[in-house]
Amino acid sequence: MKLDPQEILKQLARTVEFGKINVQTPYPPEMKGQEGAAELTLKALESGLNPEAVLQRGLMPGMQAVGDKFSRGEAFIPNMLIAAKAMNAAMEHLRPLFEGGDMTYRGTLILGTVQGDMHDIGKNLVKMVMQGDGWKVLDLGVNVKGETFLQALKEHPDAVVGMSALLTTTMLFMEENIRILRNFRPDVRVFIGGAAVSSEFAESIHADGCFRDPHSFARSFH
Amino acid sequence: MLKRRRWNPDFSMLASVLQRRPASRPVLFEFAFNDRIITQLSAMPPDPSADRIYPFRRLIHSFYNGGYDYVTISAWRTNTLAFPKNIQENVRARSLDSGNLITDRSSFDSYPWPDPAVGDYGLYQDLAAELPDGMKIVASSNGGLLENVIDICGFENISLMTMLDPELARDIFDAVGSRLLRFYEIVSAFDTVGALIMNDDWGFKNQTMFAPEVLRDFVFPWHRKMVETVHRSGKFAILHSCGDVRAVMDDIIDDMAYDAKHSFEDQIYRVEDAYSWWSDRIAVLGGVDMDFLARRSVAEITERCHALLDLSAEKGAYALGSGNSIPDYIPDENFLAMIEAVKSWEGAR
Repeated sequence: MKLDPQEILKQLARTVEFGKINVQTPYPPEMKGQEGAAELTLKALESGLNPEAVLQRGLMPGMQAVGDKFSRGEAFIPNMLIAAKAMNAAMEHLRPLFEGGDMTYRGTLILGTVQGDMHDIGKNLVKMVMQGDGWKVLDLGVNVKGETFLQALKEHPDAVVGMSALLTTTMLFMEENIRILRNFRPDVRVFIGGAAVSSEFAESIHADGCFRDPHSFARSFH
Repeated sequence: MLKRRRWNPDFSMLASVLQRRPASRPVLFEFAFNDRIITQLSAMPPDPSADRIYPFRRLIHSFYNGGYDYVTISAWRTNTLAFPKNIQENVRARSLDSGNLITDRSSFDSYPWPDPAVGDYGLYQDLAAELPDGMKIVASSNGGLLENVIDICGFENISLMTMLDPELARDIFDAVGSRLLRFYEIVSAFDTVGALIMNDDWGFKNQTMFAPEVLRDFVFPWHRKMVETVHRSGKFAILHSCGDVRAVMDDIIDDMAYDAKHSFEDQIYRVEDAYSWWSDRIAVLGGVDMDFLARRSVAEITERCHALLDLSAEKGAYALGSGNSIPDYIPDENFLAMIEAVKSWEGAR
């Protein structure tokens, strides 16, 4: 029986939300033996849906759903990781179709953990959520110096910048980084995150904001 | 060099705190000092050529002179149980994803699992000759269960493994947990040891690292056994766990039966709140926030410490200390203000 494309998209969103990667993967147990994000993506394309629709109306709502649950404390980082894995399995089929330049992004985010700090789980979550929300993310990694953020901004002058720090000691680099970036582009929007930082600290160093979780950050651009 | 203190060390003071009874004077609690503070408090410089006891003599003198009733000895300072890892030790910050030594059944089988009974456990007895009267050791392992598993496997890898290959994940947790249990069995048997710290970070800023049901499945059963072992030896069990663990506090108190909780951060919840929520059920240790200690003035630190001592004076169940430890970025004068606060508070009573 041929499934309705809308029904396929709904199922696809569910597989991403719950982290059902493909038919073989045993997680979640209640979806054992069912098709996962990989198979449903192929099915969606076969049904005549274009790649943009599969991404925007199937995969992204799934990531948004798990992100919403994460914001409410109903999902945990491992749930976000497996959702991202399901999304990646789907993207394996979509990516070649986007290579012709069909994909439109909400914007570009330059992302990195600041100098002296090697913590990357929070940063990686922001990356996953923002990619799932339609952003092009330029991940500079960990231990990123101000000059490296600046170089990336020079290459992507319309980008916004996200800096992460876990430590009280390393968050102090953020102020200097903002100064370096604003010397080049005074209106660049810079956001900070990580265990050590607070809205009060963001205000004190003239950052544009600090968010409690990655999804709130993504939502702030909607 | 041992200095004269306002009062003699008396482990029963910490014991009173851990039993949630008022102590007859304020009690200090700290997990670890940076080496600069150890040198300053002990007046003994590091000496790599000294005998095996010397580093612990420095440590004991620093805790003694600081006004503590015990010395904390973490297993990373000793030649006892340690799990081989792929990470850079002794760095200020590192990724939770730098492990990846065990990724599948084959790497699990070939991992060089250490024998927990092999090591210089005699040290814990030999230190009896070094401990001033009244002082005991508060011992901890070289990282906790979840911490070691994350270090061995990497956070992302073990996160996905609990879902995609739960049998292998369970074998890893059990392999680490059973060895840590043996460590605690051995160490808690020494007369010199008065309490044990199980140091295992479970939380991020907003929530636990894993869903509570995952922690209950893979992690908590081993902690319950470790606490049982420690209690059977007549010793106290202290949990040091960073991050937001509110969702599992009932497990910590009722199921695992820890005597005390250590590690608090203002950005998650203030220790003052933790004290009001939980001190009828579990002792609360430390909690003067690290950022507060690092960046506030001596006067502000003294004021907060006095307020904490006021808050807990009647009921007890509290020992004053930092939210985590004293790393080298805490200004010495701020740390000293915290330990001096017990004296000025006592003097003002």
